[in-house]
Amino acid sequence: MSAHLSFARFAWRNLWRRRFRTLLTLFGIGMAIAAFVALVGFSNSFESEWKRAYESSGTDIAVVQKTFLNTSVDESDGATLMKLPDVASISPMILNMMDLTPEVNALAFGWTADTYEFESLHFVSGGRFHDGKSEVILGELLAQNLNKQVGDTLDIQGTGFKVVGIFHGASALEEGAAILPLDELQEISSLQGKVTTFHVRLKPAPPGVSSEQYLKQAQGQIEAALPGLKAIPAAERAANNQLVGAAHAAAWGTSLIALIIGILGIANTMAMSVFERTREIGILRAIGWKRWNILLLIEFEATVLGFAGGILGIGFGVAALRLLSRLPQTASIVTSTIAPSLLIEAVFVAVLAGLLAGAVPAWRGAKLSPVEALRYE
Amino acid sequence: MSNPAKPGPILEACNLFKSYDEGRIEALREVSVSIQHGEFLAISGPSGSGKSTLLQLIGGLDAPTSGEVYFEGSLLGSAIDLDTYRAKHVGFVFQAFHLMPTLRAIENVQVPMLALKTSADDRVKRAETLLMEMGLENRMGQYPNQLSAGERQRVAIARALANSPSILVADEPTGNLDSVNSARIMEMLTGIQKKHGMTLIIVTHENDIAEMAPRHIRIRDGRVES
Ligand SMILES: Nc1ncnc2c1ncn2[C@@H]1O[C@H](COP(=O)(O)OP(=O)(O)O)[C@@H](O)[C@H]1O
Ligand SMILES: [Mg+2]
Repeated sequence: MSAHLSFARFAWRNLWRRRFRTLLTLFGIGMAIAAFVALVGFSNSFESEWKRAYESSGTDIAVVQKTFLNTSVDESDGATLMKLPDVASISPMILNMMDLTPEVNALAFGWTADTYEFESLHFVSGGRFHDGKSEVILGELLAQNLNKQVGDTLDIQGTGFKVVGIFHGASALEEGAAILPLDELQEISSLQGKVTTFHVRLKPAPPGVSSEQYLKQAQGQIEAALPGLKAIPAAERAANNQLVGAAHAAAWGTSLIALIIGILGIANTMAMSVFERTREIGILRAIGWKRWNILLLIEFEATVLGFAGGILGIGFGVAALRLLSRLPQTASIVTSTIAPSLLIEAVFVAVLAGLLAGAVPAWRGAKLSPVEALRYE
Repeated sequence: MSNPAKPGPILEACNLFKSYDEGRIEALREVSVSIQHGEFLAISGPSGSGKSTLLQLIGGLDAPTSGEVYFEGSLLGSAIDLDTYRAKHVGFVFQAFHLMPTLRAIENVQVPMLALKTSADDRVKRAETLLMEMGLENRMGQYPNQLSAGERQRVAIARALANSPSILVADEPTGNLDSVNSARIMEMLTGIQKKHGMTLIIVTHENDIAEMAPRHIRIRDGRVES
């Protein structure tokens, strides 16, 4: 036994006195942090997979509708794009999430048979599809999950598509994707003449012009030629891609709700604790503690709850993410790698949650009148 | 520690009034008392007469409704704030001991020192010394509920002395003790007062305890009788 009494030890004894309640509170905030780690981790990893997909295909700029989440760019705008001086080649495409079987949903891309995007795919078996034919190529991971080989038929939205190729992609996204002829995907989705985006490769930058300047110039050209559309550098596009945006929004939204519940849990625990210790607070004031000492003690206890809940939550969250990266439904869009920055963020959020939750109880404890508190039965 | 060489009283209460419940209860009316450095003063009176209220004002736990309390010439609540005054100059002992139930004896004694900038090592050393002085060298690791009533009060006295106050105030310190333990606690309190030259102010409603003090004031209905 160490005879030292520190502020931290005193706080710890107070939490330990009600260990069951402390444990329940920890689980509350722990679950919130777990949701944060798993969901935000999921959406971050989704984003980084997109980035990888863009980088590998050599796309410089993506041209999309200014509004959120739609497939409503006119395919005929491609002709206008091709006339622009800086544009080397374009690839009109559709991208969508699709239920292929009740268990497996996958990203579906619609490409033209001659697109440059094929350059970054490596065929494990078979080869490209043909425009206007009910043919599909599958990422290796998706083919495995669906148990399909070249020559098999895959039912997509009521139409039988023949698997003509299986490829190895640069990112987990492509690994888990199905790629169809653009015109076929337009037809089965009733989106004739429409695309989600044009991927654009630029001509090499003229000498003396920095690549950033050149990119800006090209962006300006495209947006001037096609008002209503937006030209986004590929690197940025990964971050504000419609699907990624939706994933981020859902992740942060859900985490925020869980966090609010976790914060209320800590606040409730600390408020009860202050109430129960009214007389003890009076005693502490009598024997020399100042208001801010009381405030600090209660904030410290709340922060310990937040921090410990955060550590617990990171454990749960990492486990959940590992699981997601193995499940066939989600394996194609998530990897189990977690950025250390996310864990630091999670601890920071947990500690902040504790501080926020402790604020009102701490303030109430600190403003108690010592005489009233001492008389409290 | 007190400084007997300092001129003037250590405490001077002038015209204290204290009312509660928005004036419905007048607990103290026009009380003035002057207390010298190193003095041992007993305050007695019937229950509800205002003894504890007076002690709380003198000990800086509360402010009077009107009137002033001076500590070594400084006006409490203005020249010196009540928190600082309590932390540095006053030690409180209560009837119900009021120890922290989650802390061991030696930890309880360190609590007041956490409010000042005492180093961790000094805190433990000081707590050990004080508990030894109270004859509790074998009870330092016990929790309050493992101690007898007399032992608890001795821990509480050690705690009151932790920050080396010059004034010790005790509100019915023997009220929850049997006669043997009462005698022992009184012996300790008076021993400390003599040894350290401290100012000791005891509130009691028991006459034989009040009579142990060289000076004794009686309170009735919020007024000093004699
Ligand atoms: N905080 C308070 N609020 C309201 N009434 C109080 C408070 N403290 C004391 N009183 C009242 O003031 C009077 C004096 O109380 P007190 O000083 O505790 O007397 P004693 O210690 O002599 O028994 C009593 O009537 C008591 O009920
Ligand atoms: Mg009383």
